[in-house]
Amino acid sequence: MSVFDRRMAAHIDWLLMLITLVICAAGLLVLYSAGYDPETGVDLFGFASVDFASAACLKQALYVVAGLMVMAIAMSIPTQFFFRSASLLYVGSLLLLVAVAAFGVVVNGSRRWLDVGVFNLQPAEFMKFALIVAMARRLARKPPEDGKAYRLGELFVPMIIIAVPMGLIMQQPDLGTALSLGLVGVAQILFVGVRPKALITVLSVLAVLAYPSWLMLHDYQQRRILVLLNPESDPQGSGYHITQSKIAVGSGELFGKGFQEGTQSQLEFLPEHTTDFVFSVLAEEWGFVGSVSIIVLFFFLLSCMLRVAGRARDLFSSLVALGITAQFFAHIVINIGMVIGLMPVVGIPLPLVSYGGSAMLSLMFGLGVLQGVSMRRQMFGER
Amino acid sequence: MSPYGRSAINISVRVWSSMACVFVCLAVLVVRLWYLQIEQGAFFRDKSENNRLRTLYIPAARGLILDRNGEVLVRNRPSFNVELVAEDSPDPKQTVQDLALLVGEDPALLQERLTKIGKRRRFEPKLLLRDVSRDVVAQISAQRHRLPGVTISVVPARDYPYGESSAHVLGYIREVSGEQLKSQAFSGYMLGDLVGQYGIESDLERYLRGERGTQEVVVNAFGNKIGEAFRSPDQPGSNVTLTIDRRSQMAADEALQGHKGAVVLMDLSNGDILALASSPRYHPGVFTSELAKGVWAALIDPKENRLSNRALQGVFPPGSVFKIFVAAAALSEGVVTPKEKIRCPGYLKFGKRSFKCHKHSGHGPVNLFEAIVQSCDVYFYTVGQRLGVDRIHHYAADLFGFGEKTGLVDDDEKEGTIPSTAWKEAYFKNPEDKKWYPGETLPVSIGQGAVATTPIQVAHSLAAVLNGGRLVKPRLVKKIVAGDGRVLESAPDQAQVQRTADIDPAILAQLKDAMVGVVEDKRGTGHRAALPKEFGIGVGGKTGTAQVASRESGIKDEDHAWFAGFAPADQPRVVVVALVENGGHGGVVAAPIARKVLAAYFRVPDEIEAAPKPKQRPAKSPKPVVAPATVAAQGRATGEG
Repeated sequence: MSVFDRRMAAHIDWLLMLITLVICAAGLLVLYSAGYDPETGVDLFGFASVDFASAACLKQALYVVAGLMVMAIAMSIPTQFFFRSASLLYVGSLLLLVAVAAFGVVVNGSRRWLDVGVFNLQPAEFMKFALIVAMARRLARKPPEDGKAYRLGELFVPMIIIAVPMGLIMQQPDLGTALSLGLVGVAQILFVGVRPKALITVLSVLAVLAYPSWLMLHDYQQRRILVLLNPESDPQGSGYHITQSKIAVGSGELFGKGFQEGTQSQLEFLPEHTTDFVFSVLAEEWGFVGSVSIIVLFFFLLSCMLRVAGRARDLFSSLVALGITAQFFAHIVINIGMVIGLMPVVGIPLPLVSYGGSAMLSLMFGLGVLQGVSMRRQMFGER
Repeated sequence: MSPYGRSAINISVRVWSSMACVFVCLAVLVVRLWYLQIEQGAFFRDKSENNRLRTLYIPAARGLILDRNGEVLVRNRPSFNVELVAEDSPDPKQTVQDLALLVGEDPALLQERLTKIGKRRRFEPKLLLRDVSRDVVAQISAQRHRLPGVTISVVPARDYPYGESSAHVLGYIREVSGEQLKSQAFSGYMLGDLVGQYGIESDLERYLRGERGTQEVVVNAFGNKIGEAFRSPDQPGSNVTLTIDRRSQMAADEALQGHKGAVVLMDLSNGDILALASSPRYHPGVFTSELAKGVWAALIDPKENRLSNRALQGVFPPGSVFKIFVAAAALSEGVVTPKEKIRCPGYLKFGKRSFKCHKHSGHGPVNLFEAIVQSCDVYFYTVGQRLGVDRIHHYAADLFGFGEKTGLVDDDEKEGTIPSTAWKEAYFKNPEDKKWYPGETLPVSIGQGAVATTPIQVAHSLAAVLNGGRLVKPRLVKKIVAGDGRVLESAPDQAQVQRTADIDPAILAQLKDAMVGVVEDKRGTGHRAALPKEFGIGVGGKTGTAQVASRESGIKDEDHAWFAGFAPADQPRVVVVALVENGGHGGVVAAPIARKVLAAYFRVPDEIEAAPKPKQRPAKSPKPVVAPATVAAQGRATGEG
């Protein structure tokens, strides 16, 4: 049986594809402005030098193309393959995380990378996907006993599955990734259903655990959260990011300052304006109209993704799709929330918009798996 | 049952509720964006403009100060300030340390200065060293790579081509103080501004300062200039032309060199102050850079009192100079006639006390003219007794302006004292001390006792004697011209007459003649004030040698030497007053100083020996001004009481 047949191609979610491409295109436009530097040429990974005004934009375009290829590959992998390899993926990623804790490379005070010779590997990225499939497998194999919602006792193993990698990533420390990991796992559990009593118990336990985990946070993480509550307390230090970002966003007003007219980003008051703070550039130059438009696009994207989860052939596929959706959602909300001063600065990029090759590839891979779920929704009996 | 999980659960409900959850969360983001971009949009727009635009200040050149003939007394020169942009240095403390070592400054002092400036806007340069030498600039430039963030700015600084000359008139500028910045009067000033703190620099600050220009520049987050936005040009300060005659002033300054004292030279027709010197002096330029501790200690040393302008603030008994005014009172009141002779045996018995004349052998019978020329004390004791202290006070204070500020400057002028019965009543607390004893009138009538006055007052009052009794307000400023050539203020040609003493012109003429006699008569006490005869400029005046009361110390200090005079004798144009604190005899010490100043004013050599062609002169003027023998003979006679 061929990997691709006509029935599968018929169920590719073309609307989702279109929205994905529109968001990528909008991202490229923002990056063209944010990374505008006509004086230096673009060095394409040491292979060639091109005369283009914005390095970030050009490279990101290449990442989008590469991402689409990765997406096609992911689409061709049968969803059942992930079911079978879920444990392997999870345990493998966990071992890599342990290896990071033991031999990881320290960059900027955090131990997140493994030096594998040619490049630095970030196992947390693998764990994002591994946790989604591992949780999906676990929840699909052990649905609630009453067929409706989990009791507290049934939640124990899934919680452990989430907590172990979360803890390992938290101590690197990488608060943002750990947080989004937890959110994705919890979303999957909630999707299946939890009895109100169990939910309340879990929330109470978390609340009680909040204080010791606050103490476990690193100084800079504590400070980021404290500064979030009162950014003016430290306008030159930790608060600088938030303050400048809010100025950028707010000064965009209704219609924005215009393409490439954003003084906050063009004059470099805004830090990391091609990566984590790319949304501020968009909001500054395109105004309220532009920033709401992109949020609406994200809403459509997430809706399409949820629709895929809803139409999936089986619970496992459904939960994989939901997990990927939840991951997108967590990144979107955390990133935009951080940029507009609702969340601490945790270093989460905006999906499909922020500049970055590996983020783009892993997001496109996720979308590919999701499209795979969509494609195979009417395939039965496939082994 | 599929191993992948059967959909026993209702997926579609879950999808819809997930979608609702997504919608709510994204809606929160939209609401927040609405708040930031619409509700607070204008506020953040302002903030982004503030980020982008930085105001640079262009210091305005201070106005020049010129003498009456347009000679520049104070000008500006380019100076170099060393500043630090702390944000450009990875370790500002280390940079300051390196800089201090390089230029040989105390590192702790520079650190302290940096902390004192405190937090300013990002990338705003902080002033570390003001007005450094070109050598230091070269050193810093050469070591630039080791001093990140250190910049050198070129700003105008005050320059004094004649050094210390006329320091007290010009005053000085110094960094605006913290207290000044708090006061309303200094509302437009910023920390680090140089402000006139004394003298003309302070009095005419509002004219001299000009207006600093501003330039809005577009900067990036690193403070680098990207472009220019808005510019308002700086307005240079207005130029001030003083009434001072630079040559007379310098002659006065030189003549006072080594003395403590003061000189006033005034045009009596309009009150123009031509020279106003005080000694010892200070260099006006020392205040613009940080004062070393020793320098400041020397400046405020109470023994020297360098910062005080003795011409305005030095209060001394006028001694025999005062006799002119007592004589004016006596003649006007008719208590004595010009012809009446009073015998001087060398002393005057008053009760049990004997008041001595400075010439212990006595002057014999003297009339008014002789009494003034020879400065006979007994004559004036007698006349003073006839007048009584209140009539002396009336003439000296009410008519001739002693005991009050002349109005030359806004403040910084002392009043002095002219005693009277009312004054004593008010001055003393103890009822015993309040009563005026007739014996106290005697020293008053020779300018001693409680009489105290300033050199500027003496010039002011003497001018009235020569001006038909008109008291002319002295003035220092001739003209103020704005940078664009507009004349902002101009002293009128006419004198500003404060009041006129109603004295018979004939009496004033007699006093003037007597004063000419003081200098020109062979027995006169003030002959050393005479200019060389061949220039035809006669000099008149009155010497004074005021005893210094040394009740506490018991040590007899030298007397204060005075000379108050005028020239030319026939048609007086200027009055000159010279005072030397503890200088000795007025005729010996003060009169030559007055002569030097007058010579400079009239542009003649002050001594015949100093004349350009001394060999040719004797043909015209066979005798020197004063024969050596005469000097010896009169030297003894010049002593006064």
